[in-house]
Parts: sequence; structure tokens; C-alpha cells
Amino acid sequence: MSNKVLVQELRRVVGEANVIDSDVHLQLYQYDAYLEERRPDAVVFVHSTEEVSRVLKLCHAHGVPSVPRGGGTNLSGGTIPFKGGVVLEMIRMNRLLEVDKGSLRARVQPGMFNLELGQALAPLGYQYLPDPASQKAATLGGNVAENSGGPHCFKYGVTTNHVVGLTVVLSDGEVVELGGMAPDTPGYDLTGVFVGSEGTFGVCTEVVVRIVRQAEGVKTMLAIYDSIEKGSETVSAIVAAGMVPATLEMMDQLVIHAVEKSLACGLPLDCATVLIIEVDGLKDDLEEQTEAIVRLCMEHGAREVRVAKDEAERALLWAGRRGAFGAVARITPSYLVCDGTVPRTTLPLVLKKVAEVGEKYDLKIPNVFHAGDGNLHPLILFDWRDAEQKARVMKAGMEILELCVQLGGTISGEHGVGLEKMDAMHLILSAEDIQAQLKVKRAFDPADLANPGKIFPAAQEVSHAQ
Amino acid sequence: MPSDVAVLRERLAALVGGDNLTADGAAYAVDGMVPALVVRPGTQHEVSEVVAACAEARAALVPWGGGTAMAMGNPPRRLDVVVSLERLDRVVEFDPDNLCITVEAGMPLGRLQALVAERQERLPLDPPDADRVTMGGLVAANQSGPCRLLHGTARDWVLGLRVVLPDGTRIHCGGRVIKNVSGYDMNKLFIQSFGTLGIITEVTVKLLPMPVCRATVLGAFTGFTEAAVVLAEVQASFLLPEALELLDPAAADLLQPVLGLDSRGTFALVAGFSGSQSTVDRQVRDLEAMVASLGGHAKTFREAESDEAWTAITNVQGGAAPDPRRVVCQLAVPIARTADMLALARTRAAAQGLAATVTAHAGSGLVYAALLPGDDLTEAGALAGLAAVTEALREEAVGVGGSLVLLQAPPRFKARVEAWGKPGSSFATMRRIKTEFDPQDLCSPGRFLGGM
Repeated sequence: MSNKVLVQELRRVVGEANVIDSDVHLQLYQYDAYLEERRPDAVVFVHSTEEVSRVLKLCHAHGVPSVPRGGGTNLSGGTIPFKGGVVLEMIRMNRLLEVDKGSLRARVQPGMFNLELGQALAPLGYQYLPDPASQKAATLGGNVAENSGGPHCFKYGVTTNHVVGLTVVLSDGEVVELGGMAPDTPGYDLTGVFVGSEGTFGVCTEVVVRIVRQAEGVKTMLAIYDSIEKGSETVSAIVAAGMVPATLEMMDQLVIHAVEKSLACGLPLDCATVLIIEVDGLKDDLEEQTEAIVRLCMEHGAREVRVAKDEAERALLWAGRRGAFGAVARITPSYLVCDGTVPRTTLPLVLKKVAEVGEKYDLKIPNVFHAGDGNLHPLILFDWRDAEQKARVMKAGMEILELCVQLGGTISGEHGVGLEKMDAMHLILSAEDIQAQLKVKRAFDPADLANPGKIFPAAQEVSHAQ
Repeated sequence: MPSDVAVLRERLAALVGGDNLTADGAAYAVDGMVPALVVRPGTQHEVSEVVAACAEARAALVPWGGGTAMAMGNPPRRLDVVVSLERLDRVVEFDPDNLCITVEAGMPLGRLQALVAERQERLPLDPPDADRVTMGGLVAANQSGPCRLLHGTARDWVLGLRVVLPDGTRIHCGGRVIKNVSGYDMNKLFIQSFGTLGIITEVTVKLLPMPVCRATVLGAFTGFTEAAVVLAEVQASFLLPEALELLDPAAADLLQPVLGLDSRGTFALVAGFSGSQSTVDRQVRDLEAMVASLGGHAKTFREAESDEAWTAITNVQGGAAPDPRRVVCQLAVPIARTADMLALARTRAAAQGLAATVTAHAGSGLVYAALLPGDDLTEAGALAGLAAVTEALREEAVGVGGSLVLLQAPPRFKARVEAWGKPGSSFATMRRIKTEFDPQDLCSPGRFLGGM
């Protein structure tokens, strides 16, 4: 945007200090947790729905695209301003506006961190269930845009199952209310359609979420295996026994080593894999459930099952799991996270195949993932300075996604398509399926100014031509 | 329909066979409007061909599953063809190990439940009339029941859909894995789209393991206040009821034969529990104590008896025996307002001399009011009274951020009272979606919100 006029006008709306357009500052906004970079032309700090509306009206008038940015933790390039333009910095819209315990709803601004909402609700005895591993740094607006998951999805679902209303500013500045405090709003479920739209439908400026009582009790277990296959078989065995644990998470040896190196959580270094299993709910049958699960793990080849004795032990196990990506980042210059999802029963097979892909391309691929959901996260380690290696990584990543699709799964469970998986969309969607999705995009954003150049392969071709 | 019915009839007969096409549409009238043709395609491919043929002939169509939600919505602006999904009732794939089943859209919910029960699994969606409501209809009309308290609605259980768009194009949405963010969440667009964006032909849902143990606790109270207090206590407690229903005395009376209530004129709070023996026992104990402490009378049903009680409670929503004069409204309000809205509906109905049966999914913010005029009124007088109550209740619901939707009403009543209420700020976006998908306005035209 060589358009100095727009920058002037933006400054009039949000104030001088809330528009950044110096090179050195813009650099901070050219990347997220994915591997590509693109510099915006300006960054605007916004503080209210009304301000967002005025900023987007200006952008619309100038034909300039925009991308909202929360914590910048996105793993698929969703926050990268692919076509330049304005980045809306949402982080100052971070207030908890209302908690209605009687109606089990909370109204929050999108710049609030996921963990902050949890911390605000806990003293009241309530919780917001989706808890992505990045919850310390990931905002609720970002969670909405990406339909984030987390370790507790197997029992409680993902973000879309807990978001019931949104205030959205469309790319022409119009403010619309979707859903709300009451259920079953007549008309199309645009709240449901908006969640997971990766910023391509507009900017959400308020979120109404479902909250629930904190569970009366919780038990956390660590099952230790000498064989990764036995670990993944146990996952299906637990589900087949009719149990619905809150969590069924898995980490393999490479990840365990990385975690121990940086966090020292007391995980055994000589095992092949561990499962973190958590049951929660009424306290009456938690012992019973725990015993049954321990028995199942042992029957399916666990070497040992440790049950967390107290909150401190439980917190330590979770610190290890939540810190896994960060720990791996300390042992490698870069990594690519794959996010493919498969039917749970194919886990043993898909893990074997992922290991084969690693051998074929001569790459290290640790695994840490949501086993109960069948949601893999192979982390392909590499050095970004080595172009040849990076090319191999991209090929290996695509091969893993193809594997997931062949086994009846899909290319992304919770990280989104963004820039990363645009080329993989054809693996799961026909041309007609994509056309249908683009109809919805046009209805929300006819001018194609909301985070353009993402998700759809055709959009990428258009942008490359420019 | 601009082009000739006879021509379209011949075309459709060639596609589906003469036996699966009829010009006798009396049994498929929508709000009194009788279709010129009723067609019963036998495969998803045939649905696509039928829809394409209708589009070419500019014929307006309405999809028809079990017919249980056909009383909802505005009268269609036009109706030429009803597309019945009754022959699409097969299982496509049942994967019990991954808790997942794919069926054609005409499969009745009851049949699906029986089938998955053989493997100790269930779909925790329980709208009224489970034996008639089809999976496609359940999704299109977003039908739910008491269990939505713990388990949510179609949007929480549908993993994938196949849809025939208004021009006959076939698409699929989602898949069969429980986490999926590969492109937009198109399932949500078609859930509660009410036949206006095409025809759902296949549905994939996730399933839950069957609970070991089930129980229902009925608390009977002579006063509304006591029932409401216990309701609030349950909601603030750790208890995790699957369903929590509040029944007014009229509804409780209708259920007397099943629930065996001791006295007439009682409000009933009914809670359903499922899970392990120990958690169910504890919850039954806790609730019985709460009921007793407020002077109520508690009664507990176990296992098969519990299931029977729930079937009866679920089906009482529309009031007693079918009556074409009856108006049934669904009021949606923030959860904390539910009990008060039930009380208000009773008061308003009584003030207009209407007989009312009012129930609520009390933990979910939904109140169902079935209203009947007194027999002494003229038709015009009856309509005026019904309309006055409905409009007043709608104003109250909208005032707290909710809505009132007609579930059932005579066509003459619908001419006076809009079926969905006034659209909100997102209506322009909805309209653009409708136009993108159905530019000729041929799929259930006029039936939805704002005459869309």
C-alpha cells in the first residue's frame, strides 16, 4: 500500500500512536508460527467494535485487504498478510465483558488469551472447556477463527461446540450479530459457519461462549510403553470398553527426551511412548474408572501406569504435554507440524507409515498428539537454512497428509489450512465442493478483502499472478 | 411453474420410474398448498438428477423426510414438486469401533438407534417422534429433544453430509473424523437450513457408548416457585443430568398415566441421569433430597421404566391429541430465564381464555407452549386471541435476546403471525448465501426466516 492517504485516515480514526508503518515495526508482524513470511503495509491497534468498523470501512473504500491478528500462534500461516495491507492488532480488546452463571454463558473480547478466561472463571467455579496447548499465548478470537482444539476434545468437542454467539465486522465495515445468549437463533447458523473460517469472513469483535461448572473431580494417569503400537492399541481398547475419558494424549520417545531436557517432568527416558489419560466428572466413580483404565493399559502391554497423586503431580504431567512443541523447538532450528486426522482405529498403522516417511526422506519425526481424536501431530525436524532439506520436509509433510486421507481421515484437525495446506485441499474436496465453499466466502466478503489468498488453491494462483 | 407439468412429469418418470412418481399430492400438502407432483428418487444420484430436472423446468420443490417438521415455517411461496426421501433409507457404513455411522437421509432416527444399539452405542439426539423423523429432516430442521442439555444438538454430532445443491450439483461436507478444519465448516450451513439450500442426501454422525445405567427422577410440586427453586439448585450443583424438563400442570396431567403423579395441578421437574451405577445412584439421591427439602414429592424410574417415561415426556411437547386449530410455539431465551418464560406463557394464555400446555427444556433455554382456543369462540375470535398471546410472548422473548418460532399453526394463523419473527442484522448475509446457492429461488421458496 503506497497509500499514505489511507494511513493518515487510519490515524484519524484510532489515533496517531495506534498505527504502525515503520519498517522495523512491521517486521514483527510478518510471521506467525508457520514457515512463511510476508510484511504488512500497516498495523492498526483497535480497541472497540466501532473502531474496527471504521477501520474496515476505510480499507474497503481504498480496496485494501486486512487480516486480524491475535497471539500470532497460528501454525498454518493464517495470520500472515499474504497480500499485504493492514494487520488489525486485536490484543487490546482483551476484556471479559460478562459472566452469566445462571445462563452458563460468558461474553468476551477476542484479544483475551484462552488461559486468561480460564483463570477468570476458575474462582467462580466455572470453566471454558476448549484448551489448546498454546492457551497461554493464543487468543479467543484466534481460537474462533481456527476452530481450535486441544487435549480435551475427545470428550468435550472443539471451539465450535462452545461458541454460541459472535459480533462480527464484515470487510465493508458492517457490524452483524450472529447467534447470541439464547439458543437456536432462527435462520442459518452463521455462528457455526464463521467459526473456523480463518479470518476470511470478517473480524470477530465479541464472542459469547458456553461455560460449565468445573468438574467435581479429576484423575490423571501416565501409561508407559516399550512399544508405540501397544500404546496406540490401548487408545482404541479404552474407547471400545465404553469409556469416554476427557483426555487421551500420546508422546513418543523423541518428544519425551525433548520435554525432559527443557522441563524435567519426570518422564521415563527409556520408554517408546507414554499416554496421558485423564478422567473427570462426578467423584463417585473416578476411582473405579481409573482402576479400569489402569487394568486395560496393563492388559495391552503397558510397562507401568502412574496415577497422579495430587494436583502438583498432575500439573507436572500437563506442563510436559503443553510444553512439548516448545521443548522440541529447543532441539531443532525449525520444524513443520503436520495436523492430519484419521479414524482412531487406524492409529497403529498410520504411526508406522509416518515412521517410514521419515526414513524415506531421512528426517527425524517425533510425534505428540491427540490420540483419542485420531489427530496426529508429527513434527518434522529440519534446519530452515538448508533449502534442500526444507524441500524434503515439504514433500514428507504432503505425503503424511495423503496417508491420512487414504485412511479415511483429513488434512487438518485443528490448525487450519491457511497458506500451508492450500495445495492439499484437492485431496479431500472436489471442484464442486470448493465452489460451494467459495459461495459462502462471497456472501460474507464479496470484495475479497478479508484475509485474501488463503485456504483455496485457486486463490493462491490468483495471488501468484500478481 | 413456467414450463409444462406434463413435460416435467414425463422427465421425472424417466429418471425414477413411473411407480415412484405421483400427481396425487394431497398427503404432501405444505400449509394447505398441494404439490403438482410427488417424486421418490431411489438413490442419491437420482436425487441429483431430479433436482437438476426441476431446476431446468424452474419448478419449485420442497424436500420431505418423515414430514414431522412440515408444519414449521412460512407457507411456501410456490410449490410444484415434493421430493420424498423415503426410499433413501439405507446404511452406507457403520463403523462401531470408531463410534461413527453414515446413513442415507431418509433413514428414520428410531431405526438408526435400534441398529447402533446392537453394538451398545447410541446417538444422543432425541427429538419427538423418533420413529418418523428422518436423519435428513433432523439435520435440516435442527430437531432436538430433552437430551440436548448434556449432549447438544445436531451441530455437535454431525461429522459429514452429502448434499444436492439447487442446480443438481452433488457436494460433500466434513468427513468421518471427529476433528476437521479442512476448509469451512459447511455442515453448519446445512444444519437448520430448512430445505432452502438444497437436499441433504446422506448424514454421518458420531456416536456414544450406551450408558451402563439410566434413571429418571420426577419431582412433583404444588407450586411453581418450589419447582423453579429446585431447578436452580440442580443447575448450580455438580450434578450432570442428561435432561431437565419442567412441565406445567396441563402437561403433567397428560403424562399422568405414565408418570403416575399422585395429584392433579402439580408442576413437575423431571431429570434424566445416565452413566455408571455409582454416579447415577448418587445423583438420584441428591435430587430426591433437594425435592423433599422444598416439600415436593419425588419418584424415581429405573432402566426400561426410565426410557418409557422419557419417550412420553418427549412426545408431550405438542400437547394432547392432534388438533388442526392448535398453535405450538418454541420460545428460546437465555437459560436463566426459562422457568419464568414458562410461567409467563401460562399466564398470558389464561388471560386470553386459551387452553395451554407448556413444557420446557429447562436447562437449555427452550419453552414449548401448545395453545388451543376455547370451543365457545368464533374462528375469528380464536385467531385473534392466539395471535395476541403469540405476539406478546414473542416480544418478551425478543426483549431478552431470544426468539419465538412457530412449530405448528393453521395456515390462516400463519397469514397473521410470521413463523420465525423479524430477522436480525445478519439477514443480508443470509440472503446473499441463499442467492449464491439458489439464484432461481426454487428450494423451499419463502419458507424460511424473512420469507427467504
